Amino acid sequence: MSGRAPGSLMEIYRSKFRSEIAVQFAYRGALAIWLLGLLLEPVIYLVVWTTVAASQGGAVGGFTAGEFAAYFAILMVVNQLTFTWHFHEMEWRIRQGFFSPLLLRPVHPVHNDIAENLTFKLLTFTAVVPAAIVLLVAFRASLQPSLVDVLAFIPALALAMVLRFLVEWTLALAAFWLTKVSAINQAYYVLMLFLSGQVAPLALLPPIVQTLASLLPFRWMVAFPVETLQGRLSPSEILTGIGAQIVWIMLAWGLLQVGWRAGVKRYSAVGA
Amino acid sequence: MRAVGLFWLSLRIGAMNALQYRADFFIQLAQSTIGLGTALAGVAIVFGQTDELGGWRRDELVALIGVFVMVGGLVGVVIRPSMERLMEGVRLGTLDFTLTKPVDAQLLVSVRQVDIWRLMDVALGAAILVFAIAQLGGRVGLAAAAAFAVMLLAGLAIVYSFLLVLATLAFWLVRIENILVIFASMYEAGRWPVGIYPAWLRVALTLLVPVAFAVTIPVESLIGRLEPTTLAGTILLAACFLVVSRWFWRLGLSRYTGASA
Amino acid sequence: MAIDDRSPAILVRELRKTYAVPEREPGLRAALGSLVRRRTRQVEAVAGISFHVSPGEIVGFLGPNGAGKTTTLKVLSGLLHPTAGEVRSLGHVPWQRDPAFLRRMTLIMGQRNQLAWDIPVIDSFELNRAIFGVPRDEYRQRLTELTDLLELGELMRKPVRNLSLGERMKCEFAGSLLHRPEVLFLDEPTIGLDVTMQRRIRAFIAEYNSRTGATTLLTSHYMADVEALCRRVVVIHHGTLLYDGDLTGLVARFSPHKSITIDLEDGGEGLGERIPALVGPPEWIVSHAEGRLTLRVPRSETARLTTRLLANLPVRDVIVDEPPIDEIIDLVFAGRAGPAEVPPA
Repeated sequence: MSGRAPGSLMEIYRSKFRSEIAVQFAYRGALAIWLLGLLLEPVIYLVVWTTVAASQGGAVGGFTAGEFAAYFAILMVVNQLTFTWHFHEMEWRIRQGFFSPLLLRPVHPVHNDIAENLTFKLLTFTAVVPAAIVLLVAFRASLQPSLVDVLAFIPALALAMVLRFLVEWTLALAAFWLTKVSAINQAYYVLMLFLSGQVAPLALLPPIVQTLASLLPFRWMVAFPVETLQGRLSPSEILTGIGAQIVWIMLAWGLLQVGWRAGVKRYSAVGA
Repeated sequence: MRAVGLFWLSLRIGAMNALQYRADFFIQLAQSTIGLGTALAGVAIVFGQTDELGGWRRDELVALIGVFVMVGGLVGVVIRPSMERLMEGVRLGTLDFTLTKPVDAQLLVSVRQVDIWRLMDVALGAAILVFAIAQLGGRVGLAAAAAFAVMLLAGLAIVYSFLLVLATLAFWLVRIENILVIFASMYEAGRWPVGIYPAWLRVALTLLVPVAFAVTIPVESLIGRLEPTTLAGTILLAACFLVVSRWFWRLGLSRYTGASA
Repeated sequence: MAIDDRSPAILVRELRKTYAVPEREPGLRAALGSLVRRRTRQVEAVAGISFHVSPGEIVGFLGPNGAGKTTTLKVLSGLLHPTAGEVRSLGHVPWQRDPAFLRRMTLIMGQRNQLAWDIPVIDSFELNRAIFGVPRDEYRQRLTELTDLLELGELMRKPVRNLSLGERMKCEFAGSLLHRPEVLFLDEPTIGLDVTMQRRIRAFIAEYNSRTGATTLLTSHYMADVEALCRRVVVIHHGTLLYDGDLTGLVARFSPHKSITIDLEDGGEGLGERIPALVGPPEWIVSHAEGRLTLRVPRSETARLTTRLLANLPVRDVIVDEPPIDEIIDLVFAGRAGPAEVPPA
């Protein structure tokens, strides 16, 4: 975005990786506590749904107990890889005046956040994957993806990461206009909870909610890769999904550009 | 009843402070409503697929949600903000000012900070609870209501003691600002009856982080599902928690070195 | 607008910046009303100032709190969009934040921290190197140079949070100068530091300027900073320009008096009545005790009076002095100083 050679951008990322790892290491206690929360949430819904499945004679809405286990274990990994924290970060930066130095660097601040994000993901991924495996084993998950499912999962996951980052970063720009974004943040979080398949697989929700989840970007940010790896989607459904992801990414990208320009304009009009 | 007086005073000061920021009222109203709606929608989705969950019926679970939101609100009004302030006080040395006051220090640090907007959660949770009790019809007698009140108090005492112990750890480990998050994330498990969880998690939610005592057990007493022995045991446990946390607090305080640390 | 090499490094013409400040009245009803409709008031932080700075100059930018100094610095460095006026930093329109411009300047604020809090200083430096695209060998050479000048040494391996305020400021300077900026905006760089550290920072700024010829615009509440570093000062007050010129000129313009201190032989014995008669107007005499006579005299009278006193009194020593600069600045800001007309630049 700053029109510099890709080589030097790579160098910025490398440096940022290194310093970010050091930062995260300084906060390893906080990191451990965060991981605990990340692990617990899918376990709660996993337990609820396996209990429901058991009481209904083994299966509910086309999910057996083992399939619920697989769903929530994969969901945990996808969540860990896609989630962002920019709602808080952006507000904090702008209020505390940490935004100005970022603005004065000859690099677009989004690169700073992408690098931070990737580093954090890389670090926590090493803890989340074993945790997912423990869940898969402990709750006797049934997961038999075909090769096609596994191959489709990779782009679906990568696009989900890009899409969720762009959407949340763009929404976080609201902090330029509002002094408190926590209400927006929470409303978005709740939509996310239901429409991206965190509370239950989308197939268990009322049809209208399912339609909404597919029309909005939510399904494509989290649920879609999980469904893909579970082998619940036909090849044409997978292709449609990837198409939807790409369309939403382009839309979100455009919104980010517009929102960013307007936000910075406002910031430099009112000061910090 | 010095505690009540001090708490009341903190509440008034907190209210006067908070009322300056009216926008916060609407933000908290939106957040509380969204939070409650989320919990109820979760129940609705589950009961769209089944009639009972681990022996709990829909109305009973709605009552559980009511207590979950209410207790979360009570902890959020005074216990959690006060504990956060205590930990900050240890870190920055501002606890000095608290310790020089002629009041029991534990009492003072426990009611120092109030977030009155969280009373909204208490009100909403209570409303849902009343609604659920009405749905349950004649099943809630006077004895059950009394048992519920006692269990709720015992549960709050246990949660308070637990958080005090966590916060007191700050005397030894200064950089543990977010240790209270442990409770917050474990508490999320409390929106469902702990009985449905596998044994290891049930143990953790009962003994490690006392979520079971805060939510599930009071509701069980309300719907007449609690054994008298559990009831007596819970009261005893609450007393033990209070004594141990006070001892631990004293121990921590003896390590406090003030602002120069 | 293209500007060639001989043009000023910084150019400000009729700069204006107004903020809309929300107005809130006390009371419940007003507070509720403000949820629906917010009333705002326009506040003019900078009300049309013009000046320019030549390449290599160090200019002190003075004014009391709220005068518009920081607003101006933020406009010049590209953080703020002005309401009106023309501004060029190094030929760029700053608020477009062209990377080519950002790579040539730096903004250091004494009250803000730009280095990452939790990691060793050297890691933050390395990050800055990548961000500003400094070639590795140049980086190494500059780092050595800055380390020597600022005596960073062991500090660089510590996390920022473990540094004292002075140590942190030294590291801020080093980190902000690794890309060898041609323009430095320094906002209160010595605030809160002890006197020794202030002197160190001051010496460093002077040294950096003489080595690199960097243009420097400096705000400070410590007049010692300004006296040591700036030949020229720009004074603003209530968003308007009060003075632009050299420091000695500021004194001449705003302080119409000089002070004369005379030590007399033998403690000035027996001169009691002659002195008031020699001096003239009694309000010129500030004090007279134990052989020392202190006078505060209109600038224009100083030479004549000094000559007269030297000829008629047994003088052992005489000092003719400007009042302390702090005092003058005080006078300027309090509005008690002489009329302010801006000399043609």
